[in-house]
Amino acid sequence: MEAPMTLADMQKAFMDNVLDEGSAMPAGWGNRHAAGLNVYRGNYRNALVEALRATFLKTGIWAGEAPFKQAAINHVIAYPSDSWTIDDAGAGFDETCRAFFSASPEVAELAWLEWMMLRAFSCPDSQPLSLDQFSLITGEYEEAQWLGLQIALVPDLAGGLVRHDLHAMWKAMEEGAAHPAVSQGEERGILIWREGERPTFQMVSSEEVAVLQSVQAGESFGDICAGLAGGSASPEEGQDAIMRAGGILGRWVQSGLITALHAEQA
Amino acid sequence: MTDRIAPFAGFGLGLRRTHFDDFLSGDVPVDFVEVISENYMVDGGRMLRILDEVREKHPVIIHGVSMSIGSAGGLDADYLARLKQLERRIDPLWVSDHLCWTRTSAHNSHDLLPLPLTGEALDVVCANIDRAQDALGRPMLFENPSSYLTFPQDELTEWEFLAAMAQRTGCYLLLDVNNIFVSARNHGFSEDDYLGGLPLDRVRQIHLAGHTRGETDQDIIIDTHDHDVCDDVWALYAKACAMLAATNVPVATMIERDGNIPPLPELLSELDKARAVSAGALEPA
Repeated sequence: MEAPMTLADMQKAFMDNVLDEGSAMPAGWGNRHAAGLNVYRGNYRNALVEALRATFLKTGIWAGEAPFKQAAINHVIAYPSDSWTIDDAGAGFDETCRAFFSASPEVAELAWLEWMMLRAFSCPDSQPLSLDQFSLITGEYEEAQWLGLQIALVPDLAGGLVRHDLHAMWKAMEEGAAHPAVSQGEERGILIWREGERPTFQMVSSEEVAVLQSVQAGESFGDICAGLAGGSASPEEGQDAIMRAGGILGRWVQSGLITALHAEQA
Repeated sequence: MTDRIAPFAGFGLGLRRTHFDDFLSGDVPVDFVEVISENYMVDGGRMLRILDEVREKHPVIIHGVSMSIGSAGGLDADYLARLKQLERRIDPLWVSDHLCWTRTSAHNSHDLLPLPLTGEALDVVCANIDRAQDALGRPMLFENPSSYLTFPQDELTEWEFLAAMAQRTGCYLLLDVNNIFVSARNHGFSEDDYLGGLPLDRVRQIHLAGHTRGETDQDIIIDTHDHDVCDDVWALYAKACAMLAATNVPVATMIERDGNIPPLPELLSELDKARAVSAGALEPA
C-alpha cells in the first residue's frame, strides 16, 4: 500500500504544477483539479508578468508590447520566483532581454537601468552632505588628510558601463517622442541613485564609474588618485589625476551623493 | 504575548497607489485604512513616508499576502523580521494574513494556494501561527481564502478548520464574505453552513470585494477584486452582519479593490452602501 502523501510532498507537487503544466499531478487528481490548477498557474504568471511590466515600464515601451510580454513570460518560466517579495521577480530580467532581444542590445541595458532604479526606490533613507557642509569639513584639511580621506556614499548608488545613450532613449520616451536612432558606441558610464524619493540616473565617463567602484571598495582619496595616475611617477600626471578625482568628488557633492567624510592620515 | 486585541468598529478602504494623493491631501471619510504589508516591508523611500503620513490621520491595518502560514517548511525568518519591523514602525490596529500557503523551500507562488483540510495541515498552520504571533507579540487575524480546488484528502470543512485554528492558537478571523461566496459556488457548499459553523465571536474584520464569473455556471469563479461588490455578496454580507451582531463584538468592514481601481469617490460611495447594508441588517424585522 502506498504511503499517504505528506503536506510537504503535496506542496512540492502543487508548486511544480503551478510552475510547469507539464509536471505530473498528484495521484488521484482528475479534470476538476486540473481546471483549478490552471487558474492558479494563470494567476502566478499574470502576477509576475504584471510585476515585470510595472518595473520595466520604459523597457516595455521601447521593446513593444507583444515582444516585451513574450520576454516576460520567458523570464517567469525560466526563473521561477524564490522570494517573498514580488519586486524581486525582475532580478536577472536584463539577462533575459540580452538573450531575447539579441539584435537590439540597448533593450537589455534599459532593463538593467530600470532594475537598478527599482532598487534605489526603496533603499534606506540617507542625508547627503550639502556643499556648505562639505566645504566646512574639508576647509582645514592638510594634504595627508586629503590623501587618507574615506568617502561614504548614499545607499544603493550604483554604477555601470553601457554602450548606448540611455539618457536620449529615456528622454524621448518621457516626451512621447519617436524613438531616437541608437547605435552601439563607445563604452560610457552611468550612475543610478535616488534623489529625494525619485530614482534618477546620469550618464558619466567610464572613469567616474571606476572611481565609484574604488570608493565602494573602501579605497581612500589618495589611493584613487594614484589609480587614476596609472602608477606614473610624473608630477604633472599626478597633479592631473588629483584634479580629475577632485572634479568627480565635486560633482558628487553637488548631486547629493556623499553622506559623510572620514579623514584619516594617509 | 497579549492574547486579546482591542475591538474596533468602522468602515475602511484598502490604501492603493492610485489614491495616495487623495489620502495625503484631503480628509477622506474612512475609519481606517488597510495596506498590503509587503509593499511597505522595505528599507526606506516614498512608500514608507506616505504610510507614515497616512498613519497620522487614520488607524492602519497591515494585511499580508506572503506569510505562507500553511507552509510545511515553516515561516521565512527574513519575512517575519521585516514584518515585525513594519509592525513596530506603524503600530497597526491589526496584523493579518490568509489561511493559505505561498511558498516551498524553493519557490514562491505570489498567489494564495489552497491547503488540504487535514489534521496534518492544521498542526502545521497552528505551529506557524504560534511562531508568528510570538514573534510579533500580538494575536493576528487570518482570512478565509477563495479557492479553485479541494483535495481528496480533506478531513474537515473550511469552517471547521478555521474554528479549530482559532481555538488552538488564539488568533482572530478576517471574514471575507466574497471569498465565502466564490468558494461556495466553486465547491458546492452552503454559505449558511459556513457562517453558522464559524466561531463568530473571533471575527474582527470583514472584507468585501468583487469577482469574475465565467461564461457558464459550470466555470470556476475567480476572486479578482476588480469589480464592484455584486448583489449576492451584499446579501451575504447583510446575513453575516446580522449573525455577528448577536456576538456583541464590534466588527470592521473594508472594501478591497485591487484591479480596475476607480476614482476614490466611487469606492467611498460603495463604502456608504456597506454602512447602509450593515445598519439595515441590524434593524428589527
